[in-house]
Amino acid sequence: MQLATMAWRTLMRSKRRSVITAFSVAFGVLLSVTFTASGDYAYTNMINTSAVMGLGHLSVEHQDYQDTPTLDKRLLDAEAVQQKALQIPGVTAAQVRIMGQAMFASGAKSVGGAFIAIDPARETPAHNIFLRTLMEGRLFSAGEEHGVVVGAKMAEKLNLRLGKKLIFTMTDKDGELVSELGRVSGIFKTGDDSVDGTVVLLPLALVRKALGYEPSAASLVAIFLADHRQAVPIKTTLARLWVKSQDIGVLTWQESQPDLAGLIKVDRLFNYLLQFLVGLVIAAGIMNTLLMSVMERRREFGVMMALGMMPGQVVRLVLLESCWLGILGLILGVIITTPWFFYMATVGLDFSRQIGEDYSAGGVLVDPVMKFRLYRESALWIAGAVFSLTLVAGIFPAFKAGRTTPVENLKQG
Amino acid sequence: MNRAVSLARIFLALLVLCAGLFLQTGTALSAQSSDEQEARAILLEIDDLWRATSSQGTVRMQVKTANYTRSMRMEMWSKGKDKSLVRIISPLKEKDTASLKTGNTMYTYLSKTDRTIRLTSSMMMSSWMGSHFTNDDLVKESRLAEDYEPRISFKGKREGREIIEFTLLPHPDAAVVWGRIVMTVTAQGHLPLLATYYDEDNVLARTIYFSEVTNMGGRLLPALLKVVPTDKPGEYTELVYESLRFDLELPESLFSLLELRRR
Amino acid sequence: MLIVSFAFRNFNRARTRTRITVAAMAFACAIMIFYASLLEGWLAGMEKNAVGMDLGEFQVHARGYRADPDLYKRIAGEEEVLAQLDRAGFVAAPRLYASGLAAAGNASSGIELRGVDLLREPLVTDIHQHVWQGQWLAEDDPAGVVVGRKLARILGLKLGDEVVVVAQAADGSMANELFRVRGILKSVSEGVDRGGFFLAAAAFRRLMLVPQGVQQIVVKRRQASEDLTRATGRLARLLPCYEVRNWRQLQPVLARLFEMSDVSLVIMLLITYAAVGILTLNALLMSVFERIPEFGVMKALGFSPWGLFAMIVVESMLQVTVAVFLALAAGLPLSFYFAIHPIDFSSFVQSSSTIAGVALDAKWYCVVTVNSVVLPVIFLYLVAGLAILYPALKAAMLKPLAAIYHR
Repeated sequence: MQLATMAWRTLMRSKRRSVITAFSVAFGVLLSVTFTASGDYAYTNMINTSAVMGLGHLSVEHQDYQDTPTLDKRLLDAEAVQQKALQIPGVTAAQVRIMGQAMFASGAKSVGGAFIAIDPARETPAHNIFLRTLMEGRLFSAGEEHGVVVGAKMAEKLNLRLGKKLIFTMTDKDGELVSELGRVSGIFKTGDDSVDGTVVLLPLALVRKALGYEPSAASLVAIFLADHRQAVPIKTTLARLWVKSQDIGVLTWQESQPDLAGLIKVDRLFNYLLQFLVGLVIAAGIMNTLLMSVMERRREFGVMMALGMMPGQVVRLVLLESCWLGILGLILGVIITTPWFFYMATVGLDFSRQIGEDYSAGGVLVDPVMKFRLYRESALWIAGAVFSLTLVAGIFPAFKAGRTTPVENLKQG
Repeated sequence: MNRAVSLARIFLALLVLCAGLFLQTGTALSAQSSDEQEARAILLEIDDLWRATSSQGTVRMQVKTANYTRSMRMEMWSKGKDKSLVRIISPLKEKDTASLKTGNTMYTYLSKTDRTIRLTSSMMMSSWMGSHFTNDDLVKESRLAEDYEPRISFKGKREGREIIEFTLLPHPDAAVVWGRIVMTVTAQGHLPLLATYYDEDNVLARTIYFSEVTNMGGRLLPALLKVVPTDKPGEYTELVYESLRFDLELPESLFSLLELRRR
Repeated sequence: MLIVSFAFRNFNRARTRTRITVAAMAFACAIMIFYASLLEGWLAGMEKNAVGMDLGEFQVHARGYRADPDLYKRIAGEEEVLAQLDRAGFVAAPRLYASGLAAAGNASSGIELRGVDLLREPLVTDIHQHVWQGQWLAEDDPAGVVVGRKLARILGLKLGDEVVVVAQAADGSMANELFRVRGILKSVSEGVDRGGFFLAAAAFRRLMLVPQGVQQIVVKRRQASEDLTRATGRLARLLPCYEVRNWRQLQPVLARLFEMSDVSLVIMLLITYAAVGILTLNALLMSVFERIPEFGVMKALGFSPWGLFAMIVVESMLQVTVAVFLALAAGLPLSFYFAIHPIDFSSFVQSSSTIAGVALDAKWYCVVTVNSVVLPVIFLYLVAGLAILYPALKAAMLKPLAAIYHR
């Protein structure tokens, strides 16, 4: 304990240098939080956005649906699946949906697209980005058998307005062609032209009837979680429920959207690489400062060792200095980071002028506003990493301090 | 394939309409002679007209578009409402290419590559054989009576001829793109003269002209149909029936994939 | 110059501290050079994927083609146009486009047929090098086709499989032909992945009955140093009856991505150097404050304030210069190493991914450019210069008497 106090006193002797070094560490904390939190926010956002674009954080579907998404591949009792899924902790919602390709025609024009058949009584904008981005009209109600919601781009292409007819043609479960009538009840605009020009929301009941499905069949059950990081453990829980059934598969968003998952992985790696590099630079700087301080105090060390201090203790002394610096730096880091963090977590920086509203990556629209989101684990990780780095930076100087003999140290004049 | 969509529908609807000659069988349906009853009766017969129980014939088709002019000769068979087979006789390049429709499914046999493809939803709106018809038209042609509610909208003289004009309004749930179809037939004999298609905004999209009334296979019907899209002036598809026979014995096996490939 | 000689002499004093400071700066600079080269490599890779693989630097179409693509909207007399482009210092290749249907087994899918000029295309783009399985097209295999990754998956195609193509030929007849899968492409872009169907131009012409004319000419500058905007203007004046667009106009989202990356490099530099600057600031402060008595004497002997200021600044710039040399000695070899041996993410990233519709490579090469070396160096001087201002000013403002007695 004496050593610790000594180390502290040493730091306090050269206040300016200690404060500056601590600031450097604090800066490292700021940087690390900035990179990690902005990354985590962006990824979470993209994951959640892609989840509400159709497949949820997890999806329960027919085994082969992922590879060949034709409409004959379905869950025979999707309603039961939905009920079971809702009982699992961590699941905020489970939506029964039919998804597939169809031809959409109005008047003389036609265009190919994809439909998501939903149950208006159970769907909410929280789980459906198209409902969130409605710009005209509204979602069809449970009583509106033939209501449809189309994207702004498709409405433009097919000359659609609220109330106009839209005929859609699909291939049913037996390979036959079926057509149905729809009337536009709402128009959405996500901002991504390709999505706005291809996606159409249809009523689940109508599509079930048209495709000749069993009364509770559907393509998939999209499951939404409170925390997307729970996807893998919850998948295991879910998969156990249907392990006997050959036809049912459970997919995490990483599996159903490999493009997005790949992108996030690469971006995260890049982010870590960056933080590592900056960390190196800061550690090097700290090491140099400590080294300088050690070099200057050689006489002091000489006296201490002459008076009986062991080299090992000298080494520990310097390490403790470095420890204190780490703690000081962390505290300072928290102080300077907190206001910045709160600002970014609530208001954020708006880059929409630079990137525009239609930027997509991994198939998902990217929010042009940069915000922060720090998970507890990440915060602990950062603190741990910064502290260890400071400690590591002190190793060489500590070693150097303990190495030289007292006589040489005293020679320093 | 804008030009094709409604044209084919109208054409086929009128194909059926032409058989108005055989009303005799239909009038036995109901004693009531309100306009609606009459219209419905005529429509029902029209739906059956060009088919009867079965038919076989040869047709010449001429298509003129902004980019090409095409001429084809085809042989057609039909049985009941659901089955039809069309095989190309000329030009040589496309000889033996055939279209088979059974119920809601359509197959196309390509003679050059000796392959059969099944119609999928993405092919629905593409033009059939380069004409102003779409595949969708061919698949949906037998549903007039189910999809529309007929009303007589005019009875009287027009351009010196006694005519009856029907307006067909789609049922609220019918999966058809049109706002209404207006057909004009002769008062005497119910021979089709004109058919016009309107979209939901009441804009005229296509017109079909019927002419050259001839006796074929024992029936009097227009042998020449000309389909004209409104938005593409100068373009048209013309169908000329060279021969037609009705109520023959046609084996079920004729309307099969195997038969499709037979050279 | 007295100042400079003093600066040099001072440089050699307080050796250890100087060395340590210089080392810290050199390390920071070296890392920044490496990072900048990595970023340049990433950008170059993206640009290569986006532009060099398929998009091309410019595309020429008949007027109205892009708004409403049509088999009939063609560039006539393409040989003449190609010759013209060649004389004007561009490399160009003609392309034929049509939409159709491909069927294999029970599956079918809409495709975009592309007729490729096998001799000219490799001069303009690199798509022929992006075959994932199998081989690129060949003159002696007219029935061989190369398809996009996702298309192959949708149709369940493997190498050697047969695929039927159906399309409406130019004369209205139903074109149909059998082809064999010769190659499957790696991820190129969303459009090509889902519907790309490449065949030799001659085979396309036979299938679609388009004996003359092409829908698109893809162009590249022969001299990459020419400014893109200027070249676009030149190209447009050369071909006034056709529509000319450069890749930034064709893919504005992508263009924005690149612009942003340049900005992010500068931000990174500022941030990292600030971190280093804070530390070296201390060393600089100390080295100045310790010599206050010395400066007092100098001033008393007649040294002007500005002279003192200049001397301290030159001292620090000397340190930076040494640091820069060290940084180059360390950073450049490191960057060059990774320019040859890329950082490989392939084990982490199974499938291909796209950003702004362009394929992302799993292998990351460093690219050392003038920018990636000059920027870090310049910023180091800038930051060091800023850091020395306060101490140098303080020294310059000293009152000689107070300074001499300073302890």
